[in-house]
Amino acid sequence: MNTSLDFIFRRRSVRKFTQQLVEEDKIRAILEAAMAAPSSGNRRPWYFVVVQDRGLLIQMAEAHPNGKMLAEAPLALVACAQEDLSPGAWVQDCSAALENIFLAAPALELGGVWLGVWPRIERVQAISKILDLPENLAPLGIAALGYPRETPPPRTQFDENRVIWR
Amino acid sequence: MDKRLDFIFKRRSIRRFEPQPVEGDKVQALLEAAMAAPSAANRQPWKFVVVTRRELLDQLASVHPYAKMLGEATLCIAVCGEPAVSLASSEGDRFWVQDCSAAMQNLLLAAANLGLGSVWLGVHPTRQREDEIREVLGLPDNIIPLGIAAMGYPAEEKPAQTRYDETRVHREIYGGENPACPR
Repeated sequence: MNTSLDFIFRRRSVRKFTQQLVEEDKIRAILEAAMAAPSSGNRRPWYFVVVQDRGLLIQMAEAHPNGKMLAEAPLALVACAQEDLSPGAWVQDCSAALENIFLAAPALELGGVWLGVWPRIERVQAISKILDLPENLAPLGIAALGYPRETPPPRTQFDENRVIWR
Repeated sequence: MDKRLDFIFKRRSIRRFEPQPVEGDKVQALLEAAMAAPSAANRQPWKFVVVTRRELLDQLASVHPYAKMLGEATLCIAVCGEPAVSLASSEGDRFWVQDCSAAMQNLLLAAANLGLGSVWLGVHPTRQREDEIREVLGLPDNIIPLGIAAMGYPAEEKPAQTRYDETRVHREIYGGENPACPR
């Protein structure tokens, strides 16, 4: 693994967090990273809901089948899209923004895990209700974030069978 | 912009390239970065088509409406999805788009941090574009091109940037501490 790309290989899914709250300047930095993602036609169809309220985090933990860690995480960033701003590309745009969030986290001593919401309709409805999202916003995914209580080693899952040379 | 995140802010869409080819070890590093992306249930529903042949790059430039720069780029990587490998959903199999988009973003950030320039050319979900690119690249029907990363040594420079917009940030619930946002 090329060491100049360590910032990519260090991104691992972290599901255990300490109690320590994430500082406001780090939340701002992560959101700046998210909104540095490219988007189709530069339409930026994204919205981010910053959730730190324990009650709301617990509600999301209960609503999401893989979201138990939200009950302990100090922070969740919910990436949402205004679908009509970019009908064909909002999933791709918001996914790039989410990936930036997860790459930014380790550089700020944080860790996190991507919880898929869209296109599972029951998850979309539950999260929309908890966050009081308007009809025209869809929650794509949740970044559960915090100071990690586990540190998986850097890795790639490079597989030459997934490469086609032309 | 926090300096610790420069590796993200320095990625800009680059559409002008030098003729110098991209070295093999950098292509390998790009692929390792792409395949370090997360995927739903770790299915890795992706394939990467590495294109360096001039005539294929030129053909791609001619079939894609916004891909003229492929006539100048020395490398492109088509990020493709294999929906059958993806985590299935009851009403459509769409996690592969998110997985492949994360891999694409890794690819673009890796390029910027290896001294390369890149730009993401959207393919999916425009069916005609998918079919034309599949034909040029000789791909089977079960592989869907999500997008193409046009790459090479940059012949233009752009400063680091974020498009941070506070109206897109809501606290706790939608509209929270953000009354400027109309429902």
